Amino acid sequence: MRYVRNTIRVLVFILVAGLLHYVLPQHDVARITSTEVIRMDFSSVNRLFFAQPDSSNTEFATRDIRLINSQKKRTWFLGFFQRESEQVMVYRNEDTGWIWPPYFKFDSSDLQAEASANMSAPAAEQWVVITHYGWRNRFFTIYPNAIAIRPIDGPGTTVVPWFNIFFFIFAGIAALFIRAMWRQFRERVIDPALGNAGDAWDKVEGHADNVGDKATGIWGRLTAWMNTWRAKK
Amino acid sequence: MALIRLMIFGFLAMTIIYVAISVYSRSVRREKLENRWAEKHPDLDDEDARDTYINEGMERYNNGIRPKLILSVYVIPTILVVLVLVFTNWN
Repeated sequence: MRYVRNTIRVLVFILVAGLLHYVLPQHDVARITSTEVIRMDFSSVNRLFFAQPDSSNTEFATRDIRLINSQKKRTWFLGFFQRESEQVMVYRNEDTGWIWPPYFKFDSSDLQAEASANMSAPAAEQWVVITHYGWRNRFFTIYPNAIAIRPIDGPGTTVVPWFNIFFFIFAGIAALFIRAMWRQFRERVIDPALGNAGDAWDKVEGHADNVGDKATGIWGRLTAWMNTWRAKK
Repeated sequence: MALIRLMIFGFLAMTIIYVAISVYSRSVRREKLENRWAEKHPDLDDEDARDTYINEGMERYNNGIRPKLILSVYVIPTILVVLVLVFTNWN
């Protein structure tokens, strides 16, 4: 029973952590090398990882996706520490509009223009901080969605993730509050209702214990339990 | 359409939170009143007087500012949505 419970706990933790890692904003230090538009024909595998056509447009099975090609600084430990080496990264640039995740982004076109404005060649590098959510996966052809682009002086900049800090503080407070609410509910509503039932249960258990004291082993316990159902003589 | 859907589901979610917090806050206040009564009159076994005391306390609570403050459950998320909207799309 404990294994089942722990397994479920671990699975729930992985699911929630994965969801947060996908949805919460992250910051990459990168330089934009080019922008492009490709046509994409989504399948049921990767449709979930794309948002929707630009605000006020109609949904079709096929549509153009704006992409931002970049060269970004590698990081480790969830992006907290920057490394010297670089890697390519491709971002998509889509409106999230009023749907999930709640970034309420309507300015994809403007963002694409900003990306073009900050494009640079290796000799004269223009570094930017790209705020994004989502994952890059080659096998599913999915891209993180760029939310904002901010030019910076050099690649050594550290970005403080203020939003995530406040988000986790708030989530902690909310969790404590929900726990307090649940405890109050249990104390004031469930426990009083169970009060009488609990007394009856204690009697049954006491009786079973008396019988059980005489029994040893699984078979003995089973017959002892059967005896509790027999009529008293 | 997406905006209407967001408004409907957002309103439903906020209503659930509002009701839950209202019930919780009321329950905490009632418990406090019960404890205060028990402290003041440890030996008195008068159900009617106790009920009157608690009902008066709950009335004071209902007329106080706290139930109105819980309405901010509707206000704060709306402000947050507007803020995120502005910060995401502002150049």
